[in-house]
Amino acid sequence: MSIYLRNFLRFLMLVLIQGLLLNSLSQRWWPSPGTLPPFIPFIYPLFILLLPLATPVWFMLMAGFVLGLSMDAFMDTGGMHAAACVLMAFARMSVLAALLPRKLRDYGNVTPSVKMMGWTPFLTYAAILLLVHHLVYFIMEIWNIHSIVYLITKTLLTLVTSIIFVVIYALLFSHSISKSD
Amino acid sequence: MRKVLQLIRRFWNLILFITLEIISLTLIAKRNSLQGVDIINSSNAIVGYLYEKQNNVVYYFRLKQMNDSLLQENTRIRNELAQWTGVDTFSDSLVRIPPRTNDSGQVIKTGSSDSSRKPLGKPSVVQYATYHYIPARVINNSIANDRMNYITLNRGTKAGIRPNMVVVSNNGIVGRVAHVSENFSTVVSLLSEGRSYSAELADGTTGFMLWEKGSPDYIQLTKIPLEQKVKTGDSVFTATYSIFPANIVVGTVAGIDTVKANNTKTLKVRLTTNFRKLQYVYVVYNEYATEQQGLEAKNEKSE
Repeated sequence: MSIYLRNFLRFLMLVLIQGLLLNSLSQRWWPSPGTLPPFIPFIYPLFILLLPLATPVWFMLMAGFVLGLSMDAFMDTGGMHAAACVLMAFARMSVLAALLPRKLRDYGNVTPSVKMMGWTPFLTYAAILLLVHHLVYFIMEIWNIHSIVYLITKTLLTLVTSIIFVVIYALLFSHSISKSD
Repeated sequence: MRKVLQLIRRFWNLILFITLEIISLTLIAKRNSLQGVDIINSSNAIVGYLYEKQNNVVYYFRLKQMNDSLLQENTRIRNELAQWTGVDTFSDSLVRIPPRTNDSGQVIKTGSSDSSRKPLGKPSVVQYATYHYIPARVINNSIANDRMNYITLNRGTKAGIRPNMVVVSNNGIVGRVAHVSENFSTVVSLLSEGRSYSAELADGTTGFMLWEKGSPDYIQLTKIPLEQKVKTGDSVFTATYSIFPANIVVGTVAGIDTVKANNTKTLKVRLTTNFRKLQYVYVVYNEYATEQQGLEAKNEKSE
């Protein structure tokens, strides 16, 4: 399977998983968790995380924008996901350069994955970028300086569940991805 | 000139990044007005179609739950009906109900135009219905957002839904229609900041309902006078002059706070509408809404 087709299919799959499955998690299967605010995990930023290393930055920004817009259409959030995704795509290269031991150019066109990076670096990479995404998204969503504790609670709750879903995704799909590489 | 081009090429990524962020921020800014003309919403054809397909699957698993809620609603409506039949409503006028063409046995075919002007049908006391209810299925529902929560319905302009119509559920109120496409519509749910509706207690004391983020089960009723006696468990209804039909139950009082600053009480109201399990809603079509709004707009102009 070509690398373009694979990423395109991943885009569709992640948007559908997020839009049709995870978005309804808070009301269907999530019991009211005490006084915690209702929240949903975000798995769709994984598309940006898993783009091949040699992807040009302009393409990544455009892909992030389109991904965010399609999520906005699903969740009626205007352009919040788009703004968060574009920022995340912009920050990706610097995070990867800081985490990987060799120069990015030396790796060629591989997908950043658990197989290639190892568990700890991959999860750090995912956690940093997801934190950027979640923080930007929730700042725009809440937009109130007085509820900073609420903002932090919600960001952390969402981040933890998002990472859990990212790990599940990595466990499910890392085999087939590494095989076809 | 060449220098400028070189500069643009060098900072091309940064320029693109800033442009995209500005576009997104513009979209966010446009969304916050109810009449905003944003393109990105779930009443568009593709997302609406996907939501409907998903709902067709999920729908099946929730039939039992829905049966129960419909049975409850039937009971409530039957009880209400029992109250009204046998009541002598002096306040309503004696009118003749015109026969409808689809009423069997009542259609009187009139040949000349003269006889058609005569009042037809049997005389009866009626209260004119100003509200009509359009049933719709909830195909997407969000409760986890902090400022605006939207609901997507599987009915649109074809079914007669227009923007700004109010939406009620079988046992409470839901929100207001924001965007409508041919087959789908989105509703700004009650769980949205900056949308206040009037509500009243059983004795007619009115206040404003406001949602505060954090819980989809509670809403706040503000501006209740301090001397008003309120107990937890008291019912809260929609006010007579609110945009909702009057006397629909909103919820029950769950907590009482006194605001010292302006000598009022703020009540925490537990909603009767369960936003987590919303399946069917009714979009309320008010026959006199346009007339009323036109008149009120004139008032504002003259002021």
